[in-house]
Amino acid sequence: MTYLLKKIVMYTALILLTFTFLMPFVIMIMGSFKEVQYAQVDPLFWIPDEISLNNYVHIFRDGIFMRWIFNSIVITIIPVASQMLLCAVLGYVFAKKQFPGREIIFWIFMAVIMIPQQLLIIPKYIMFADFGWINTYWSLIVPELWGIMGVFLVRQFLQNIPNDLEEAAYMDGANDIQIFFKVILPLSIPVVATVGTFSFISNWNDLFQPLIYMTKEEMFPVTVGLASLLGKEGNFGIEMAGSTISFLPTFLIFLFFQRYFTEGIQMSGLK
Amino acid sequence: MLQRLKREWDRNAIVYIFLVPALIHFLIFQIFPFGFSFVLTFMDWKVIGTPEFVGLKHWAAFLNDKLAWKAIWNTVLFSIYYIVPTMAMGLILALIINSGVRFKKVFKGLFFLPVVTSFVIIAGLWGWLFSGTESGMVNYFLSFFGIDPQLFLSDSGQALMVLAGLSIFKVSGSTMIYYFAGLQSIPKQLYEAARIDGASKMRIFWTITFPLLKPIHFYVAIITTIGSFQIFDSTFLLTGGGPNYSTTTIVYYLYEQGFTSLNLSYAAVLSYVLFFIILTVSLIQRKYLGKESSIY
Repeated sequence: MTYLLKKIVMYTALILLTFTFLMPFVIMIMGSFKEVQYAQVDPLFWIPDEISLNNYVHIFRDGIFMRWIFNSIVITIIPVASQMLLCAVLGYVFAKKQFPGREIIFWIFMAVIMIPQQLLIIPKYIMFADFGWINTYWSLIVPELWGIMGVFLVRQFLQNIPNDLEEAAYMDGANDIQIFFKVILPLSIPVVATVGTFSFISNWNDLFQPLIYMTKEEMFPVTVGLASLLGKEGNFGIEMAGSTISFLPTFLIFLFFQRYFTEGIQMSGLK
Repeated sequence: MLQRLKREWDRNAIVYIFLVPALIHFLIFQIFPFGFSFVLTFMDWKVIGTPEFVGLKHWAAFLNDKLAWKAIWNTVLFSIYYIVPTMAMGLILALIINSGVRFKKVFKGLFFLPVVTSFVIIAGLWGWLFSGTESGMVNYFLSFFGIDPQLFLSDSGQALMVLAGLSIFKVSGSTMIYYFAGLQSIPKQLYEAARIDGASKMRIFWTITFPLLKPIHFYVAIITTIGSFQIFDSTFLLTGGGPNYSTTTIVYYLYEQGFTSLNLSYAAVLSYVLFFIILTVSLIQRKYLGKESSIY
């Protein structure tokens, strides 16, 4: 009896939590299929009575929205690719190479992680204004080409791998670059995938930096674009359709690489 | 000599080819801005015209700026609403997925989903759920219990709590992962021994699980505190700092000063205030975490 009761309590809690976590996403997707004029009238409007594709049609016809998506792709794909390569190399360097100043440089890196990014935004804004980088992709791509966190993750990962492989390859006459690409990189695929997924999510979802460096509407990534639609009268369906579209890549990445997210979080937190 | 250089190059080429550019990049985009920001706090840096040295003027202005102190207070208040519930929620979610429930992976994914979703999307939904009109969904549900419609985001007493709720929803999935890892590292023999002694589930939780998670509690507390001091997105997206400055947090105020009012130097002062707060929290972490993490 008490066993049954416990099961009931447990599953009730589970259903409530599922409801809480799932509901916003259901509302978003359902809302995107609703005609604008019905959207805000009925609190339970997420229950569909008629599916309309008008919001999506509107978005795909609207040149500016497609531009936002394109901008998001540019400022995400390049840093992701670059982070995966550079963090892997640098992580390898810090895990396996001996060179003067290695410890102190790494120590400085670790200290710099503590600096909140908001502190750097004002000087970076002044710098980028000088460089002529405001309203260009440079401001969002160049600073993100590699990251300390990624280097840290790769270093942690490679420290647990024995040096024998590397030494054997070195004895066979392979040089550094060959060893990295033929021995280390294939071994590091899981951690490199982690770096890539994290970088994807943080660049795709970033709001603060593009908000400051991008002042022209046609340079907005989809986050800033959606933010500019937020709360405007009669936009709810379009906002939800836009959210659904911008959520889709994140969701797919998450679906396929879920393991790497959770492992990355564990690796970064618990040494 | 040449031979030795060649050998050194072969062995360490990768260091020179990749590390040197990376370090230059690091100096330009991390170290230089950090120092420049500090210099900025002693200057009047107009967007146009030449900068001018003004000494401690902006720091003094900060000390007398009631709104800045209100922003700090709001941020502390936000932390109070946010930290413990996020930890509790993360622990509950971790206990659920660690309890041998079916479809464990599905639930883990579901609870983690908000973590990877953009703030803009979640804020858009939240704004609608907590709409202060009768057609808002939360108000609709409250009406079943005979509760009058609440203003939520337009009420200066409630807005910050609603924003904290959003953050709890967004972040507890990652807290769950830390706790899940912690739960799995507790030795199974402890539970077996307790069960043989006839301890109840509640008793086992409070005497074994909860205390043995101490290093995790500590770590999670630190990172959620640091996160809560940097809160910006939800305020920007949903309330614009209002009503009546009740949701103006440090970073939001910094943004407004810097990029709406173009007081770049004053914003730099605020960013250093934020830095000192976070540094203090991190140093406390250093001091205690080193000892605590070797518990088992």
